[in-house]
Amino acid sequence: MASLDYAYRRLVNTLGPERVARSEFERMVYSHDFASLPKIALLQWRLYPDFVALPQTTEEVAALVKLSDESLLQITPRGGGTGWCGGSVPNRGGVLIDMRKMNQVLALDPDARTVTVEAGATWKEVEDFVGSKGFALPTVPLNAIGSTVGGAINSGSTGFGGLRGGNLLDGIANLEVILPDGSLLKTASEADSGAQLANLTPLFLGAEGTLGIVTKAVLRIVPKPEVSKALTYSFPSLAAAARFLKGIVDAALTPYHAALMDRDHFVFERALQSDSPDPTDLALVAVQGSKDDVADQEKTIDGLAAKEQGTKQLAPIGDRLWRDRYNNYGARRLSRGLMVSYNLVPLRRLPDAVEKATEIRDKLKLNGSVQAHVVDSTTAALNPYVLMDDTKPSGGTALGFVKRMGDAAFKMDGHPMGLGLFLVYNLRKMHGNATSAYSAVKGVFDPRKKINGGKTFEVWTKYPWPGLRAIPPPGMAIGLEVAAILRRVKPTRDRFVRAYEHTKEE
Amino acid sequence: MGLLRDWHYVERAVQIPALAELIREALIRALFVRDDRVLPPDLIADLNRVPPVTVKVKEDAEVRKLVRVLNGQESTVSLGLSAEDYHYFRTQLGVGRTREFGVTMRPRTLLTYDWIVPEQRGVQLDFTGYASIEFAQDGHRAIAQVGAFWKRLYDEALERGHYAPFVPTVPLDFAIGDALYGDAPLASFRAGFGSYVNGLRTISPYGQRARIGFEEVANHGTAYDLLHTAIPLAGEFFIPLSAALRLEAKPAVRKTFTYSFDDPAKLSAALDKLSRFGPGVNWVHITDSLAAKILRPAVPPEAFTVQVSIGATTTGIAAKEKALDGTMTGFKTKTGDASNPYDVPVDAYRKTADAAARSLFVGEVRVPAKSFGDFFGKVRAFGDQSAAKAGAYASLQGTGVVSAYPFFSAPKDRTKVYDLSKGIRAIVSRVPGAAFTSRLAHLWEEEPMFLRRMGLMRSLKLEIDEAHVVQPLISP
Repeated sequence: MASLDYAYRRLVNTLGPERVARSEFERMVYSHDFASLPKIALLQWRLYPDFVALPQTTEEVAALVKLSDESLLQITPRGGGTGWCGGSVPNRGGVLIDMRKMNQVLALDPDARTVTVEAGATWKEVEDFVGSKGFALPTVPLNAIGSTVGGAINSGSTGFGGLRGGNLLDGIANLEVILPDGSLLKTASEADSGAQLANLTPLFLGAEGTLGIVTKAVLRIVPKPEVSKALTYSFPSLAAAARFLKGIVDAALTPYHAALMDRDHFVFERALQSDSPDPTDLALVAVQGSKDDVADQEKTIDGLAAKEQGTKQLAPIGDRLWRDRYNNYGARRLSRGLMVSYNLVPLRRLPDAVEKATEIRDKLKLNGSVQAHVVDSTTAALNPYVLMDDTKPSGGTALGFVKRMGDAAFKMDGHPMGLGLFLVYNLRKMHGNATSAYSAVKGVFDPRKKINGGKTFEVWTKYPWPGLRAIPPPGMAIGLEVAAILRRVKPTRDRFVRAYEHTKEE
Repeated sequence: MGLLRDWHYVERAVQIPALAELIREALIRALFVRDDRVLPPDLIADLNRVPPVTVKVKEDAEVRKLVRVLNGQESTVSLGLSAEDYHYFRTQLGVGRTREFGVTMRPRTLLTYDWIVPEQRGVQLDFTGYASIEFAQDGHRAIAQVGAFWKRLYDEALERGHYAPFVPTVPLDFAIGDALYGDAPLASFRAGFGSYVNGLRTISPYGQRARIGFEEVANHGTAYDLLHTAIPLAGEFFIPLSAALRLEAKPAVRKTFTYSFDDPAKLSAALDKLSRFGPGVNWVHITDSLAAKILRPAVPPEAFTVQVSIGATTTGIAAKEKALDGTMTGFKTKTGDASNPYDVPVDAYRKTADAAARSLFVGEVRVPAKSFGDFFGKVRAFGDQSAAKAGAYASLQGTGVVSAYPFFSAPKDRTKVYDLSKGIRAIVSRVPGAAFTSRLAHLWEEEPMFLRRMGLMRSLKLEIDEAHVVQPLISP
């Protein structure tokens, strides 16, 4: 391996000094993603990158990838860092490539109904741009403000619009990727050839940056709807709200978005902003279309809500929630840290799933909120979050919640989302005997494991010595299970919000 | 359907000194039509060899066992064959094998044409008897075995209050497996067939049961989306046995409206507008007069007929119809609520399918909606020149693309198929934004990025099927 100083000089020669960082502070910023990792994790991984590189062009990304052949430093690509399982965090230092300087919208083709964007642009930026031209994106990931196009593709996100616009894959016409050998690959044909003509785009959905670095994406766009309206209903229980969401799908309605949030979310919001909606178990449904169509959908949805004893909320509540839809984790400010558990569960089991999530949260004495949204006619995303303070010794035990939630999702015939650095143990549970076929993909694209190596399929540690180089993925599961047990036996609850504790004691 | 195998074969063949002088396309033609004036007789004999053993699959354990036997993991005795059959099996496959033999899946209904390189010495799986469908009690999901007919899935889903949104653009009697390893053109207005597949139950090349994707939920955030990468070529990576399919709730009202057009330009403009219509459209099918005569013999054919199936609430259907009329500007006549061509009894459907299957199909052309009229005009003129009347079945998708299946009234002779395919390819090259996605078009394509992607697919196949069991690649 070349010396770090030599590697630094080579990086500076490629990008210039202003786009290569190696200061302690900058490296620290890139040592975690949206999930709060306890400091103890530093014993296992070198989470701080050696260098942070900020390329502005595809050619620069290719040059950085080729440079790693000389320096033998690992490459970790990163978008907005809104992931939750360490997919964009280094495990052995190396070069972290922050794609956010590649954030241009390059072209909008109204005839082909596509927009070409660089991978570092956020979904919100792209949505605003296409909106200004009279178009909309069919699907937008949940954290659209911070989530970059490349980041969401690599994490295989779900989000807004899935029920109507299809999944994220349906919304991607083509990708430009720098492969681990530094060459450029377009994953699909230039013409809209569907899944034919060797379309490799699906391989990069959820690949967590392990196959290459996405530099550009051609996204599909749809005409902007004439009218868009957010409807909100409060329910006597979260399970009733879940039954309501299922009822929408059973009635063959296709609203743009259908989601639920429990009352605890609004308790946290109220602690931050006094004018936020009253705490209640709530469903948010966004309908779009022509005036007549929206009015008809609203009437039908009102009827479905009434069946579950839902009460329609005033329009400003819906408007406000819709306006703030990408800004869902404000509660993080109450506790310094926050952990989200993303899972997919069968829609038909959503009422059980939300109850299970509440039960797990309460058993582990955590502060948190249960949320879910409809993904398609069979699938719902269950994404509860819990608050944690990773500066306290007990903070890290909140990670046990993610483990327990994942296990619960499997039991309900669903699965947790994301593998990254510390959920790798789920791979075999997800894919069973097909796991070797999934591992084969990495072998074809990146046999030397240059890009995001030691994740998704295996858990590398920071230690180079045989026997300690990697830990068996089930070892991670045991660690997180121990965290859950410690959390459960912890005698006291965390106290982030007095009002929240008050409601729990009632 | 052996695409990787054919592609690999062609790639290798052009490297053979004796054949390298032929240009790629001439070689493909010679291979496709089995031209004995160009190719050595040994090669022709190889290409014409068919799998000596066909196994009628009744349950997945048989396939598992078979794969393990072919892998040498178990002896043929474990197949439980009678002494006579055992001897036959051993003789046909050859005991001391010197080259790979593998397993191939025979599509139940083929729209276009067979593969160039058939399975040489292996086993062909016949899934005719493997055709059950299991519906989730309380959800919009069905698990259909590959031998199950699409029409049965469609009918049984409707009976249970669900709806199979994907319908065949060319209404042949396809089985579900035909969309996984054949060329069944199943799609809805919103998406292609793959989008409705949650997962596949397969047998891996090592004889293990392997589920690709999931059954009850979609496939997001689970490492690579291997499922949707493999689907068009699923039979070259695994042996698919069943597909977990995503259904939708049956709308309160489903109506089919029929619009006729005289003018191709007006048709194209209307289709382009219709592709922006938004939710509620289940499928949009377009037929020319020749196709209309086959599908609806009792109705005088119009130059172009567009059938639009929409679903809505009982209160919303009128507004949807009004909006639809406003979108379909320039139509000549309209028939409100025509009968849905897929809702007919199975016998009537099969009768139509038999009539449609007599035509010669060359594969799918994807063409921007606004160019469809122009494209079809060229196809018709080409048909007239080739003394083969041309028609087309097509479906519109929400992306603004028409998925068209040109056909010809001509005998299904391999030379004719090749020449007509070549003609369609020439037409497609003159229509901006169009793509010919037939199997021959894949073999002809020489664009470097495409070749790179195919190379990666081949590497992936070789990595996943290291045992060389599932349609193993063959070099000439």
